[in-house]
Amino acid sequence: MTLRNSNERWGPVSQALHWLIVILILVMAYLGLTMVDLPATPHKVFVFMLHKSVGITILVLVTLRLGWRLYAGTPDRLPGIPTWQSRIASLTHAALYLLLFALPISGWVVNSSTGFPLRWFNLLNLPAIATKSESLHAISTTVHETLFWTLAVLALVHAAAAIYHHLFQRDATLARMLPRNWLRVPSPDGNQPHA
Amino acid sequence: MPRSALLSAALLLAVAPVYAVDYVQASGSLVFAGSYQGEVFTGRFPGFLTHLGFDPAQLGTSKLDVTIPLAGATTANADYDEQMRGDAFFDAAKFAQARYTATQFRALGGNRYAADGTLSLHGVSKPVTLTFTWTPGAQPVLDGKATVNRLDFGIGSGDWADTSLIPNAIAVSAKVVFTPAK
Repeated sequence: MTLRNSNERWGPVSQALHWLIVILILVMAYLGLTMVDLPATPHKVFVFMLHKSVGITILVLVTLRLGWRLYAGTPDRLPGIPTWQSRIASLTHAALYLLLFALPISGWVVNSSTGFPLRWFNLLNLPAIATKSESLHAISTTVHETLFWTLAVLALVHAAAAIYHHLFQRDATLARMLPRNWLRVPSPDGNQPHA
Repeated sequence: MPRSALLSAALLLAVAPVYAVDYVQASGSLVFAGSYQGEVFTGRFPGFLTHLGFDPAQLGTSKLDVTIPLAGATTANADYDEQMRGDAFFDAAKFAQARYTATQFRALGGNRYAADGTLSLHGVSKPVTLTFTWTPGAQPVLDGKATVNRLDFGIGSGDWADTSLIPNAIAVSAKVVFTPAK
């Protein structure tokens, strides 16, 4: 078994990074949407610390993921998928990558603009990347929230498309982002399992 | 002037104890520093007021009295300030000011001295030592430092007592320029 991506499938490294980031995005959405209204106690400080730490972690993971993708290649387009669909999928993927960089960076700017420390999992203090400023705080918060809702919509479209391809197009779009044999994929001509 | 009056004045001068010179604050700064989540923060107490009776040769009669309003204490970070003045920390609405008084002074050599005084803060009075240098002159200057353990005074109670978030020791520095009291 190769770690790299083959012509047919995503390899284990790309798969692991994909699903790890999915889980972290869900964690981030939960933390981000609930933490702001918490009472101002050390518990709030802790939840914010987690949100910031996971965000920085996603920034590192998406950098690794993109680097690995450039090194390990991508599977070929599946047969039978129209060009226009494939183009939309590629655009969506590019936008998702862009958002996975832009969201943590905009969050880092939000934090820097308040002058709050950024202590990654209480282990390591990271520097501010912007000056402390109330106007910057207002702008960057709006940007951060808008980017989040954009990501939420695109990620849902992306997931819905994968499920649609699996259930209705009966192709390997979803199965090839999962370990072999996790999903049964009919071969294009009929009933023979292809996995 | 009658002789008797002159004589009694001279007598009075001879027997009266020599008091330290009284000073009032001409200008000054009172600042503090601590750390939060591993990053240093600094702040200041605007509007503090110092009365000092001090003479290096008369430490026994020297005295220091500083009043420190807390509602204006600021770190230049609005979020920190709101929290710091609130009821988990200074509770400035209830304890509007802190006070530091000292009557015990020690010479540390050269122009350095220590005041073993009492800090009253947040409803608690505990000893705090201020070490300072004294630069004499027409407008003498006191330049001092003290360490205040915030938890001794219940500053940052409950969960905020966690010293991995905010360490106990808060460094305080004062620099005050005096002018003789009229």
